[in-house]
Amino acid sequence: MQHIRITDTALIGDAKPVSTAKPRGRPILPALVPFPIACFAGALVTDLMYWRTDDVMWERFSIWLITIGLILAGIAVIAGLIDVALGKRFRTLGWPQVVGYVLALAVSLVNAFVHSRDAYTAVVPTGLTLSALVVIILLVAGWAGSALVHRHRKGVAQ
Amino acid sequence: MMRASEFIRSPKRPRPAVLLAAVSLLALTGCDDNGGDPTRQIGANPPLPALQQYLMPPIRIAKAVGWGKDETPTVPQGLQVHALATGLEHPRSLYVLPNGDVLVVESNGPKAPIFRPKDIITGWVQWFAGAKAPSANRITLLRDTNGDGIPEMRTVFLDHLNSPFGVALVGNDLYVANTDAIVRYPYQEGQTSITAPGTKLTDLPGGPIDHHWTKSLLASPDGSKLYVGVGSNSNITENGIGAEYERAAIWEVDRASGAHRIFASGTRNPTGLAWEPETHKLWAIVNERDEIGPDLVPDYLTSVKDGGFYGWPYSYFGQHLDPRVQPQRPDLVAKAIVPDYALSSHVAPLGVAIYNGTELPANFRGGAFVGEHGSWDRTPLNGYKVVFVPFSHGKPSDPAQDVVTGFLDANNHARGRPVGLAIDRSGGLLIADDVGNTVWRVSSARPGSAPKPAS
Repeated sequence: MQHIRITDTALIGDAKPVSTAKPRGRPILPALVPFPIACFAGALVTDLMYWRTDDVMWERFSIWLITIGLILAGIAVIAGLIDVALGKRFRTLGWPQVVGYVLALAVSLVNAFVHSRDAYTAVVPTGLTLSALVVIILLVAGWAGSALVHRHRKGVAQ
Repeated sequence: MMRASEFIRSPKRPRPAVLLAAVSLLALTGCDDNGGDPTRQIGANPPLPALQQYLMPPIRIAKAVGWGKDETPTVPQGLQVHALATGLEHPRSLYVLPNGDVLVVESNGPKAPIFRPKDIITGWVQWFAGAKAPSANRITLLRDTNGDGIPEMRTVFLDHLNSPFGVALVGNDLYVANTDAIVRYPYQEGQTSITAPGTKLTDLPGGPIDHHWTKSLLASPDGSKLYVGVGSNSNITENGIGAEYERAAIWEVDRASGAHRIFASGTRNPTGLAWEPETHKLWAIVNERDEIGPDLVPDYLTSVKDGGFYGWPYSYFGQHLDPRVQPQRPDLVAKAIVPDYALSSHVAPLGVAIYNGTELPANFRGGAFVGEHGSWDRTPLNGYKVVFVPFSHGKPSDPAQDVVTGFLDANNHARGRPVGLAIDRSGGLLIADDVGNTVWRVSSARPGSAPKPAS
């Protein structure tokens, strides 16, 4: 989702977007963003497995994935704040992604509490719905964000 | 799109901070965790509100503070209470031997496994409530030789047990219900310590989860059978239905062979068993499920029918379905028995004694004392006292009365929490207090009410 390229004349081509980010000014946040996203997407898979099997093992996977996702997201937020404090520039992070991440994180936090209920209703229907909603939000945000970067070449070296 | 590009071109705007603020502003409280008047849910046919499911289930625990010097529980006029023994280690249940010696089972559950992040939180909550003491795994004997109501002798009767709870003596066989097995020890009257190795009568459902670890024990009047209260392995099957095999049930164990059958099932956590003397029926106290509201589900006292099913996990108080259980079992729900007598929600009855003595006033005869450990998930707090349920013709006849109170101080901190009960040889009511680490004795406030000396 993040396309960070070191500006190097040998690599610059017309087809590929190249970030204007400089190596020394590169923020940490974009490198950490994929990890919570992977956790939240995994939780949807394990929720679906629980829904189909009634096996509590999948339910436990889901709540750990969501919890770890939230912790990793928290670390990413801290990294982002440090980036901001150090004056680093987020050339590849479009506004749809930021809005999407905030929404996905808020829904995931609620989802962690829903998943902490006991037995079936920890997942079906509310938990499963929220897990799916998070993935949809992330997909839409990711697509809209990359469209900004690729199609409109925002934050990209001309 | 203009605004969007502006946004992108002003990278110093603290966007991640927006994200953090949004998350922290998210309101997660606001659920109504205040229960109704808890006394309305005492007796047959309690009113049951609609169930609620929470984002954050209400937690309201009484911080454990212990008893101050000379502080005791409160009893009504005409009764008196004093400490029979103090400085115990998490005393959970009591048993009175024929010679008057009192056995105090000092015990706690095995270490709870962590399956979910929630289990970590639950551990903190229990620690705060003084329920995380390590198990002493020991039975202490108290003997009052001169009859002044104060035991002069205190010995370690049995040691190196495994989260013991129930005790039953049949002839010279003393049975201890550890969390994972019933073990038999040879006992001679007057013995103050058992060093002989025990013999296992039967395994009981124990680890690795062992969510409800206490195994209550009661011998049949003829001594041929032992009845064992085996609690469920979860609140409401969150550890899987496979973990509940032969749990949430009252077992009937053949004393000669060790073979068992399920006498009754669907009893989530049957922590106390007693024989009703008039009808000779088995009665049990049962702890019902949590996390569906401050007024759900009332814990109960009930007669136990052979082969009866009492609802857990599929339903409660008859046919009230619990949606947290999947797949459901309509066949079992259809035959679920409504318990006889609700004790109110989340009071956590952990001890029962049907009064057959003469020491206490006559109105207590034939009725049931119930030790209510107290709630942790409702406001206002409920339980934290010993109540008396009057019986008539072998059935509860009137609303429960508070008999021993004052376990909570004015700030709703727990000075103690009542657990197991027993009637001593002189008819005094004994109460194990696992936060105050004390055994209390309630007797009539009149001269000459001291217990008879143990022989």
